[in-house]
Amino acid sequence: MSMFNRNDKETDVSAPDKPRDVTSASVAAMPKPVQPVAASAPAPDLSSAKSAGPSVISKALKITGQLESTEDIRIDGEVEGDIHGVSVTVGHGAKVKGSVYGQTVELAGTIEGKIEAKKVILTSTAHMAGDVIHQDIRIESGAYIDGHCRPGTNKTDYKPAVKPN
Amino acid sequence: MPTSHLSKAITISGDLESDGELQIFGNVRGQICADRLVIGPGGFLEGDVIARDVHIEGRLEGRIFALNVTLDSSAEVNGRIFHNTITVAKGARIDARMPWRPPSYFESLETLPEARQ
Repeated sequence: MSMFNRNDKETDVSAPDKPRDVTSASVAAMPKPVQPVAASAPAPDLSSAKSAGPSVISKALKITGQLESTEDIRIDGEVEGDIHGVSVTVGHGAKVKGSVYGQTVELAGTIEGKIEAKKVILTSTAHMAGDVIHQDIRIESGAYIDGHCRPGTNKTDYKPAVKPN
Repeated sequence: MPTSHLSKAITISGDLESDGELQIFGNVRGQICADRLVIGPGGFLEGDVIARDVHIEGRLEGRIFALNVTLDSSAEVNGRIFHNTITVAKGARIDARMPWRPPSYFESLETLPEARQ
């Protein structure tokens, strides 16, 4: 009886106390199965919508190998290898060693290799070491080119996923 | 650190090295070295991974060397998972050995991002 300290009245209350203890014991047992459910909640950080859209190779990334995409690619990092895309943008500070194929290629960084695209844009910060095969080219003042620029034949050995306009 | 994003339309065969986060929703065949790797739903990687954190919602065939590994319910992993802490969600398909390693093991991996700096 000494374990029930809250009993001020000795005999009368002891009877109603017993069922109270039973309920409190069962309530204490209740949260236990709930706990593991609450514990397994890893932070979901991805929405399925993010699986679409252009691929971005950030400036922290270096790829050694071949890239192929049926959608747009933006490169801010470094790639050693060939790139096949629809619209390929090589950003300022980016570096590509290899050939770049696409419908549209926009260069603001460095390419050592070849560009083969319907539409080529060399911006003022572009550094192009190699040939450019194009049908439509725009070169901004300040762009560096060391190579031949020649209009490509109509045969498209790059794989257009989207019909050219 | 900037995040790299490889959409579902992309296929890469080669090695990838990043100091930041790398998200794969497409197909990659090769070795990956990153601070954090996320294989999104529909993403597939065939090759080894060295990273600090790895989060998988897609498929992987190869080995993982990572301090923290999270396998989502949609994950499918075939290979080995060297880890220090791992979380596996209900529903994940795993056909892999999962050896535990102390943190010092991952620090000694010379291609681990921290070790390169």
